[in-house]
Amino acid sequence: MSFVDYYKTLGLDKTASDKDIKNAYRKLARKFHPDLNPDDKDAQKKFQELNEANEVLSDPEKRKKYDQYGKDWQHGEEYERARQSRARTQSQEGSWYAGNEGGGFSDFFESMFGSSGGFGGGKQTRFKGQDYKAELQLNLADAYATHKQTLTVNGKNIRITVPAGIENGQTIKIAGHGGPGSNGGPNGDLYITFSVANDEKYRRSGNDIHIKEDLNLYTAVLGGELVVETLSGKVKLPVKPETQNGATVRLKGKGFPVYKQEGSFGDLYVTFNIKIPTDLTDRQKELFTELSKS
Amino acid sequence: METDQLIATERFCTYYNVNFSFVESLQEIGLVDSITIEETQYLRVPHLNEIERMVRLHDELDINREGIEAVHILLHRINEMKNEIQVLKNRLRFYEG
Repeated sequence: MSFVDYYKTLGLDKTASDKDIKNAYRKLARKFHPDLNPDDKDAQKKFQELNEANEVLSDPEKRKKYDQYGKDWQHGEEYERARQSRARTQSQEGSWYAGNEGGGFSDFFESMFGSSGGFGGGKQTRFKGQDYKAELQLNLADAYATHKQTLTVNGKNIRITVPAGIENGQTIKIAGHGGPGSNGGPNGDLYITFSVANDEKYRRSGNDIHIKEDLNLYTAVLGGELVVETLSGKVKLPVKPETQNGATVRLKGKGFPVYKQEGSFGDLYVTFNIKIPTDLTDRQKELFTELSKS
Repeated sequence: METDQLIATERFCTYYNVNFSFVESLQEIGLVDSITIEETQYLRVPHLNEIERMVRLHDELDINREGIEAVHILLHRINEMKNEIQVLKNRLRFYEG
């Protein structure tokens, strides 16, 4: 536990007036407020530090105590007396909402003033609990079908339904599964972000799937059928005569399920990679030669 | 209309220790959507997160309603841009595949 220089946190010196403290705090709080810096952990940490500094320096009694014993907080009977006054100061403080990550004060603060979470100077506002964030890894086949999955968040098992067609990077909210509210406020929410891994065979673009399929030369030239393995099973694909290398065909409705639109699917695009026969027999070479002359 | 998706504005104000006039002023500029049933005004529960944020900006940072509106618009744009970035990242993954 190390000494925290609250004046430095607010960019002030020890002679700062109450007005200077208020202005410095307001200015920096606007810059680092979690509502203005969503998902920015550094800003949230900085905002907590600002709160802590403001909590001490804007309260004349705490400021006096801090100025007097701050650097020597580990020693002296005065410090002991300061410790004993925790109960008094605690009951006077309000609580900052926990709608964002963190919210606690430093060990230094707690050892000197007790554990109060204060923001707003004594106003007992009810606020929603901390929102939790979690990441869930899925492969493409998992994301293809609606399924249930159990997650452990802060020691609690939560069973969720993962809807088919979820996108990589998509976030869903599970209401009420975050941290407990403050001063009787409602629980926070749980936000789960899905990370859908790439697949070697199937490449996803939105709701469409793209695959490459090898096609033998004879079927490409004369036409025929090709059996294609899709995420939902095998599909027989007619191949037109004289199909060119790199040609793409679309199989409507054989792509990825559309998120939360039951029965609706994207398309499957199959690109042909024509394989030239190898190890030709003499007879085959002869026939190709004849063909080339025709 | 599912009534469990509504909270009386007055109850919200008491619960969050907010002046009714502040919520009204947000309604005037279209930041808060309300519904009146039998002379009681209600807020929509799914909008509470945003309303809470506006209350925090007002109480904690002394931002007035015009400022809150500007912040609201900018945060909305940031969210849209984040979503767009995610879509573009996914497209890039397709080509990097």
